[in-house]
Amino acid sequence: MSIVAGVDIGNSTTEACIGEFTKGSPVRFLSSSSVTTTGTKGTVANVHGIMTALKEAMEKAGRNVEEIDLIRLNEAAPVIGDTAMETLTETIITDSSMIGHNPSTPAGAGQAAGELLDLDRIGQGTAGKPYIVFASGQHTYEEIAPKINEAAGRLNIVGMILQADEAVLVWNRLEKKIPIIDEVARIDKLPNGKMAAIEVALPGQSIRMLSNPYGIATLLHLDAAETRTITPIAKSLIGNRSAVVIRTPNGDIRENVLPAGEIYLDAPKPVRIALDEGAEKIMEAVAAAGEIRDVTGQPGTNVGTMLERIKNGMTEVSREETGEIRITDILAVDTLAPVLISGALAGETCLEKAVGIAAMVRTQQLPMRKIAERLEELLHTKVVVAGVEAVMASLGALTTPGTQLPMAILDMGGGSTDAAIIHEDGHVTLTHQAGAGELVSMLIQTELGLKNRLPAEMIKRYPCAKVESLFHMRMEDGSMHFVQESIDPRFFGRVVLLTENGPVRIESPLPMERIREVRREAKKKVFLMNAFRALRTVAPDHNLKNIGNVVLVGGSAIDFEIPEMLMEEFTNYRIVCGRGNIRGTEGPRNAVATGLVLSYTGERDDR
Amino acid sequence: MRLRPVWFFPTRGNAMIVKKPSIFIYTYDPDPDFLREILAGIEEEGVFSEVFARNTENADRLAFEAARDSMLGSGIGLSGVDAALQMRGLPEGRNVEKYHMPTYGECRNLGSNSARAIKKLGLKLD
Repeated sequence: MSIVAGVDIGNSTTEACIGEFTKGSPVRFLSSSSVTTTGTKGTVANVHGIMTALKEAMEKAGRNVEEIDLIRLNEAAPVIGDTAMETLTETIITDSSMIGHNPSTPAGAGQAAGELLDLDRIGQGTAGKPYIVFASGQHTYEEIAPKINEAAGRLNIVGMILQADEAVLVWNRLEKKIPIIDEVARIDKLPNGKMAAIEVALPGQSIRMLSNPYGIATLLHLDAAETRTITPIAKSLIGNRSAVVIRTPNGDIRENVLPAGEIYLDAPKPVRIALDEGAEKIMEAVAAAGEIRDVTGQPGTNVGTMLERIKNGMTEVSREETGEIRITDILAVDTLAPVLISGALAGETCLEKAVGIAAMVRTQQLPMRKIAERLEELLHTKVVVAGVEAVMASLGALTTPGTQLPMAILDMGGGSTDAAIIHEDGHVTLTHQAGAGELVSMLIQTELGLKNRLPAEMIKRYPCAKVESLFHMRMEDGSMHFVQESIDPRFFGRVVLLTENGPVRIESPLPMERIREVRREAKKKVFLMNAFRALRTVAPDHNLKNIGNVVLVGGSAIDFEIPEMLMEEFTNYRIVCGRGNIRGTEGPRNAVATGLVLSYTGERDDR
Repeated sequence: MRLRPVWFFPTRGNAMIVKKPSIFIYTYDPDPDFLREILAGIEEEGVFSEVFARNTENADRLAFEAARDSMLGSGIGLSGVDAALQMRGLPEGRNVEKYHMPTYGECRNLGSNSARAIKKLGLKLD
């Protein structure tokens, strides 16, 4: 009797599978585990994660790590996925010229234009001139309202800007009603004496004048040339309930189109394509280029630095010369990223065009042997590097009930989407494509303007719901869910993610519909695109119709909606497609590790 | 001619609502500054409120009863320097928020939150 462990090191997770071989009988699977990969895939840093995975799996089986007789590592494909994002346009405002602002409770309605006047200097105002008065948070509504009421007889005050959240409070105490905007954080940046226009929309509507270039021109008396320059401001104010635009004659607002640069594809048919042609054109070029040897960007441009950064990142972790590191595939996706406007006053953002790129980096053979040696030292167990990843994955996937040869597997992991076809004679065709789970997270992060990756990662994984009362929430599909015990008031009115450990609040004030839309779009952009790309590469005659069944495996196949999205699309090609169920118990996980244990059947000598 | 008040009582069927839907604030010897800030918080959110003096000293009890009696199901109890926010349906003592000696900012937020709860907006927490 001997115990064999199969270990699969992936971009994001390390998986283990433990099998027991007894003379004369087929392998008996004892347990499996999945932990986070430590370090970059294929480096000695992985050993730590492998140890954890093995310990966890052996504990589940009620055994000790020392009892393992043989460890089989996958010959990890020397490809590592990485992602980068670059914006193509950029709005710059110098001399701070706008506040596009959405306080929850502005007061009054309508638009007004006038000279900015600090409440502290209200005595200096001249009669007959229209003024927009602004007050810092040091003044309370009880102080502001009487001052304005008193000054209103003398001055023509047409609007107000407040720092504190007190617009309604002030408005209720005014004798002459004017539109008021509040919660302007950087009120100290408002220039006294400059012309400004403010607008508050009627309840349930959004602003009309300030989101229209000609509207701004009307209120601030701009000429044709100036109107052209304020167009980006109008664009970024669309959909707001209230806004302020300040005219600073020296101010300079422009939409910069950054030199995006060109991508060079080193392939049998070399191609150069400009990044700003858009993702679709880039992907067409990639498809037409044939087998790509390397991808580089025009030096000194955005894409140049972006691809260089990916390569450098890889050099640092794998300590190889840059020359040895090649990008063999890229996946480009168009996206819109909310970017903080340089020069904005209240932290406004503007949606800028951006391109997300995932790259497949090929290094030299990964030092798997080094990992094996280190493991042997630690565990005093024989460690072998066995089998090609894709073959092992196919072997494992075949344990899914209801599958047969020839079969295609689509391994959707964190860093790459791999496809393989095993034919009846046992030979395997395979491909590695750039872009998978991590690119989806990155797209979600940028499109929703999240500060870090973790919430994006969570949004990717779990459906969301809005807590509408303390006893019920509305799911993203529109259904209602009632709970016996009242929901924590901290979740009230918020969008939450429904995780297995209870709800998790999303900190950014994003509507549920937007989160759902961005999440689904990101998944479609990456996984639909890649599934077809990968399968077309491996399919006989590159025709999808020649594939009978597809088994989805890998981390992203666990996702609650990606397999369904793919299934829907594949139905059009009469392909049987579904999430794998390794060994009938594991779901889409553990395919490679299981394959590694299974492949030992053919090698053992104690039969 | 003197007009006599006419009362409509909500009955079964579609009786007209003649009472303003408002947040109830039940008080017992309330700190006037705290009360002012709470009211300002509600006013800023544009919701009506009514203040009643009660005989109970327990802030939990005051909040619970205020929420129970308010047509909007949102109530605040303010007893001296203890302030609690309740919503109808929650058991007594299980307040949405409760403070002993709150800051003015916390009072303002408490008022805002009693209104935001009705508007189904997320509560202000800081």
